[in-house]
Amino acid sequence: MSTAPTAIGGDSPVPPPRAAVPPDAGAVPAGWPAAVPVAEPAEPIADRAEPGRVRWDPAERRARASQSFWTAVVGVPAIFSVLRLGVEAGGELQTTLLLVANVGPVNLLAGFLTTAARLLSTGLVAVFALGAVLAVSADRLPPGTRRRPLFARWADVTPAWVVLASFLLALLTWPLLYLPLLLPAFVAAFQLRPERLHERHLPRVLLIVALLAGYGWLLLPTLRDATAQREWLVLALVVVPPLLAVFIAGPLPGMVIRPLATVTEVAVLAMLVWAAVPVISTPVLPLTVTTVGAPGGPTEDVRGHVITTDDVNMVILQERGGVRYVPVDLVRAQVLCPSEEELPRHRLRIHDFHVEDSLLEGMGRRVRPVHRIDAACRAPG
Amino acid sequence: MNPRRFQSRLRAVATTLAVALTLTLAAAGGCDSRKEPDLPSVREKLRETHIYGQSKLRIGVATDEPLMGDLRNGQHVGFDVEIGRYVAASLGYEGDQRLEFVSVATEDRIPALQGGMVDLVVSSFSITEERKKLVSFAGPYFVTTQEVMVTTRLKDKIHTIEDLRDPAYKICTSGGSTTEAELEKRQVKALVVKDVADCVEGIREGRYDAVSSDETILAGFLASYPKEFEIVDLPFGTSELLGIGVPIGDPALRDLVAFILQKSYQQGRDGQASPWQTAYNRTLGPWLRAEKRQPQPLDVPKLVDFDDKAPSK
Repeated sequence: MSTAPTAIGGDSPVPPPRAAVPPDAGAVPAGWPAAVPVAEPAEPIADRAEPGRVRWDPAERRARASQSFWTAVVGVPAIFSVLRLGVEAGGELQTTLLLVANVGPVNLLAGFLTTAARLLSTGLVAVFALGAVLAVSADRLPPGTRRRPLFARWADVTPAWVVLASFLLALLTWPLLYLPLLLPAFVAAFQLRPERLHERHLPRVLLIVALLAGYGWLLLPTLRDATAQREWLVLALVVVPPLLAVFIAGPLPGMVIRPLATVTEVAVLAMLVWAAVPVISTPVLPLTVTTVGAPGGPTEDVRGHVITTDDVNMVILQERGGVRYVPVDLVRAQVLCPSEEELPRHRLRIHDFHVEDSLLEGMGRRVRPVHRIDAACRAPG
Repeated sequence: MNPRRFQSRLRAVATTLAVALTLTLAAAGGCDSRKEPDLPSVREKLRETHIYGQSKLRIGVATDEPLMGDLRNGQHVGFDVEIGRYVAASLGYEGDQRLEFVSVATEDRIPALQGGMVDLVVSSFSITEERKKLVSFAGPYFVTTQEVMVTTRLKDKIHTIEDLRDPAYKICTSGGSTTEAELEKRQVKALVVKDVADCVEGIREGRYDAVSSDETILAGFLASYPKEFEIVDLPFGTSELLGIGVPIGDPALRDLVAFILQKSYQQGRDGQASPWQTAYNRTLGPWLRAEKRQPQPLDVPKLVDFDDKAPSK
């Protein structure tokens, strides 16, 4: 695709043929309506192009970028979802096919978005925050550096509302424990310098101190618990980011920009790949325990994901692998169970919101507060 | 150096540091979120117990202690039975299909646990140092006192421990119980039988005059024969901590049972209807003279469970 040789795209609105351009590039060609601007790029193209390399018309470039963007938006979840089905099926072709036959594309996509929203927002926030920092520092790049860092260019072309939306998504889906990190990221992404608070020095400092004090007061009980439980990382994650937010806006020294750009590009990519693994391996179907047994006879608990139920059978993908067809008449009871990944890692709360819950989850728990794990869920698979 | 330039440099360094620190913290947070939890989970503990994978849980209970552990129309009922049911359900054993109550006499409680006849004993089992050498205890789940129950005709005659020492009265108690040891310590000569029920039967038949045991057990018999007996409040001064007996070789199960009792305790403390309170209200509650609350279980391990994230209020 990148070898497409011309800037005069076949599908694009037809610009005047390049050959017909008179030597005076700024002049309007004969016969062209005077009021209509000529679709001529701002800079000449062919004559400055490096050998073996084609420079794109900015408009077309944008169009192509938008095309790739939407391809990615639709394609990536689709590919991920199919990959997830394969993983869910335990790598068995026939089981994968059974899942494909029974899991609707909309369910699949919705299931994917439920589990991937956190990953998606993390990627976007990282790119926009780093991009903005690099973009504001770009004029300090050592002379002779021609291209701006990739993230800076991305941040440049992204509308502010997209950035804001990513932060909102992160605010709702990140665990509360990591939300403080969103603060320096937000300040960096919008380059909100402390000077914006007040033009005079003293009131500005007082304002910052007041804001930090309010934050500290809000989190004081949690900080106390974290100290008592010796959760030093939690303590750092809660205390340090707001302080960093005060200093994070502003240009970086020239010598740092290039290494930072390279390292963070690799790091963000690695982070996305690393974080994508659990997203791929998160089950598509809910985990249940089905109690099976003939009336009056002994019962058995089948732990797994129900793929489908028809008049004759209930098809269960067992947690320990393999598909089980259970006659519907033998099903005695069925309960929904949590999976082991949902086990909390910390025993800390922020005003009764568990630190590992996102705001959405925390609010959800308030709507349906009672959650008792059913006895059957403890049964071994 | 130009102060303005110096300031700008300082600012650039601060920004660099802030960016670097933010990235480090984010990376540390990310790594932490993928680490195995530090605290063991209920599920992990369950895997370590001897009951894991067992299709049925066997709980040793009394069948002749009204209100505590009784057999009525073939159904096990009583406070101990309800506590047993709650613990079993929390361990993943719910319903008659998966739960078996085994009748265990007072003196057989320790041998039953040692011999693997039962997985747990919930049968007015007092926690003592002596017994702790032979079995493990989770709890206490109830604090009771030692009392004496007499026939109504003797209610004005027996008031003190001194009265109990009077050879004119025949005092009865169950063998292998803490009451037996306590009476011995106070030089009260007691006739030792197998179960408290035998004492009660004996009194009704005129063979004994008084029976000494835990207030909870006596309250049960009082409930059965309210007109024939009276409980006398004697200053024995020792409190009995009732615990759930667990085989000594299974510390994981002991921890789990203690954790389960703690969950109920926490619920009760938060003002919710706890399983303990429900069991108490349905059985002992109306028959005890003073209102009781669930005591805080001791040596409760820190475990994580799926419902830890639920709001506490």
